[in-house]
Amino acid sequence: MAPKADSQSAGAVAAADASSQFSMDPVFHILKVVPYSFLRPPRLRLKIPSVSLPSAMTVFSLVLLTYFMVVSGFVYDVIVEPPGIGSTQDPATGAVRPVVFLPGRVNGQYIIEGLSSGFMFVLGGIGIVLLDLALDKNRARSVKVSYAIAGISSVVIAYVMTTLFIRIKIPGYLR
Amino acid sequence: MATMPASASDLLKSFKLKTKQQELLIRVSILCLVYILAFITRLFSVLRYESMIHEFDPYFNYRTTLYLTENGFYDFWNWFDYESWYPLGRIVGGTLYPGLMVTAVLIYRILRFLRFAVHIREVCVLTAPFFASNTTLVAYFFGKEIWDSGAGLVAAILIAICPGYISRSVAGSYDNEGVAIFALLFTFYVFVKAVNTGSLAWSLASAFGYFYMVSAWGGYIRFVGFQHVQSGEHMAAMGVFFLMQVFYFLDWVKHMLSDTKLFQAFLRITVTCAVAVGGIALGLGMVSGYISPWTGRFYSLLDPTYAKDHIPIIASVSEHQPTAWSSFMFDFHILLFLFPAGLYFCFKRLSDATIFIVMYGLTSMYFAGVMVRLILVATPAVCLISAIAVSATVKNLTVLLRSKNKVVQTGSTKGSGGSKSSSKALLDQSQPFQKNGAIALLFGAFYLLSRYATHCTWVTSEAYSSPSIVLAARGAHGNRVIFDDYREAYFWLRQNTPQDAKVMSWWDYGYQITAMGNRTVIVDNNTWNNTHIATVGRAMSSYEDEAIEIIRSLDVDYVLVVFGGVTGYSSDDINKFLWMVRIGGGVFPVIKEPDYLVNGEYRVDKGAAPKMLNCLMYKLCYYRFGEMLTEYGKPPGYDRARGVEIGNKDVKLEHLEEAFTTSNWIVRIYRVKPPNNRWWLNRYKFG
Repeated sequence: MAPKADSQSAGAVAAADASSQFSMDPVFHILKVVPYSFLRPPRLRLKIPSVSLPSAMTVFSLVLLTYFMVVSGFVYDVIVEPPGIGSTQDPATGAVRPVVFLPGRVNGQYIIEGLSSGFMFVLGGIGIVLLDLALDKNRARSVKVSYAIAGISSVVIAYVMTTLFIRIKIPGYLR
Repeated sequence: MATMPASASDLLKSFKLKTKQQELLIRVSILCLVYILAFITRLFSVLRYESMIHEFDPYFNYRTTLYLTENGFYDFWNWFDYESWYPLGRIVGGTLYPGLMVTAVLIYRILRFLRFAVHIREVCVLTAPFFASNTTLVAYFFGKEIWDSGAGLVAAILIAICPGYISRSVAGSYDNEGVAIFALLFTFYVFVKAVNTGSLAWSLASAFGYFYMVSAWGGYIRFVGFQHVQSGEHMAAMGVFFLMQVFYFLDWVKHMLSDTKLFQAFLRITVTCAVAVGGIALGLGMVSGYISPWTGRFYSLLDPTYAKDHIPIIASVSEHQPTAWSSFMFDFHILLFLFPAGLYFCFKRLSDATIFIVMYGLTSMYFAGVMVRLILVATPAVCLISAIAVSATVKNLTVLLRSKNKVVQTGSTKGSGGSKSSSKALLDQSQPFQKNGAIALLFGAFYLLSRYATHCTWVTSEAYSSPSIVLAARGAHGNRVIFDDYREAYFWLRQNTPQDAKVMSWWDYGYQITAMGNRTVIVDNNTWNNTHIATVGRAMSSYEDEAIEIIRSLDVDYVLVVFGGVTGYSSDDINKFLWMVRIGGGVFPVIKEPDYLVNGEYRVDKGAAPKMLNCLMYKLCYYRFGEMLTEYGKPPGYDRARGVEIGNKDVKLEHLEEAFTTSNWIVRIYRVKPPNNRWWLNRYKFG
């Protein structure tokens, strides 16, 4: 761009500015002179992007994710830093065998057992949600039936696995 | 004769209730049964042992309640306790939450007025179950407010037996939480009621409920006083209060002004001013120190790794550990499945009340994940939300069961003519299948809830009903063996030591020693003075010569240690010893933790560190233990709690002498010998 044309158009812009808006702001006047007498600001149409609130079900899925993390003992993992899986030595052969469930204490876990139990809890919750979706009237029948079967099997699997886990972890459970 | 059967049938007809009355009868009888159930499920330890106060903290509460009954409220409020934290003493009036004690004394006075001659100890023991029963009633009304009366009933049942709540409200656990959870739920219920009805009376009631909760609970503030304007934790509440004033002021101005443009300008100016003023006030407050920063306990909730690195006392309490999945399962069982389902139902039907309960549930579950003890706070929210899930699912299923052939009509209104008849046929076919499916699912729900009840009762009986002061174990023939050593030791102290004797022990036992032994202690469970505790820790971890200097400077007459080597009791002082070292080392750098470890491992056998084998705690615990045969087939001096033979069997004490050891060696008390008359002779010994 030729500087002559720049200063001319800048001058025109400045004159227009001065006539439309009288400003007491010293910074504005300094800026008018120093960069913007020879620089021409581009004409852009910028809009602040509109942020719309997410739907209830989106929030629910996020909540489910955080629930999974809390209930699988994520904070415990971060602070105590247990190993992912424990190990014990077989006294007879000397081979090292993995131990999935931390024995002896109620309030202690390895990382993998925490994550799998947390997954089972969330699975059970989702099963009940699927059951409710299955009983909703406004769907095709085949979809309702498949939701119902998925829901019932989720709840049953989750309950059975969770009971199995707690029985392994606490040897004297329900005796 | 003909009139007789007529009048009889008339009589029967007059007894037959209308459906609404039947429903009311069912509801009231369920609530009565739940009330009784909540009370009796907490009585396991009273029936197995006796009616006594459990654990450590309740002994302090009991002692203060005793003082309150004997001396009245004004003396209680101004009480300076010289029997603990010798030589500092403790201002009891300003450092406790009087709600619990005042409540217990009120109940005691009412019972006495009705001429029931109860002892204050019985009232203290049974306060928590009584308030748990009241909590179930509040849960019913809260559930009714959020969802419907069915959900309220389920919430009442779930919270009556939930182990997360039972753990801190069992009979004998005379602690703030027993009363505070009732106050918390009551305040929340009345608050939601006020939001729903908009009435001033309910909001006033919620203010009173909040006041009661604050007076009863240390769970969230330490002192009531000027804390509300001074402590960092209250700034959020202050901010909300301030914002509400600004909001309503703007609303009022908008109502007065008719010009919108003028109002917009006014709005901009006001909001900017308000934010600026608030920010400047907060900044000035924090910089000048008027507003104190967040205390360690609450900071560790936001940054869970803080306590581990900076404050060993907080990190050492087992209740402050983060939660593993099995603790959740233990305390909640199937509620862990029902909670996300209940959240889904709440999200489906969003209202002020459901949003409130969802936020309460989510925040309390996060904090419960950070600290095991806070599972208690999450329990009411989890029970309520799970009740919503149960109630909504059961309602769906029973609607399916009750639906008659009306489905055919609705089937015909949708779809085109061709599919009309086929859909009608399909629905006719699927009707009995759906009904059978619904019945099967109802049985499944019933089965799950019955497993929940079994689990809760088992957990209550096995895990949460131990008084901790009386230990039980299974003997060789499966019979139950009771160890009453703690009380034996405390009563020995009470009866065989001079009145002004001072006892030094680790801080766990302080409350019990003052309450039952009636002697002055150096440090107790209040743990308000870290340096004092560190002094005791340093004394326990030093060699005997250095320790006796500290002991003499604190004017101690007796030293008490807890030792589990003979019985295999694992919560003894040797297992807690590393915490003494850490806390002592935190204040006195002369105590270094690596000195007591061998390759990072904590041992007491022959391979243990020399400093460990000769420190005061080791000597006091293992004095004369080297000759003791503890288990068949093992050498003498076999420590059953650590599972090893001890390293230093020849323990000689120079400045202390053994005063008393209980029958199972669990508590050992040593007397501090007075200094030799001619001590300077020992210092200048020849050879």
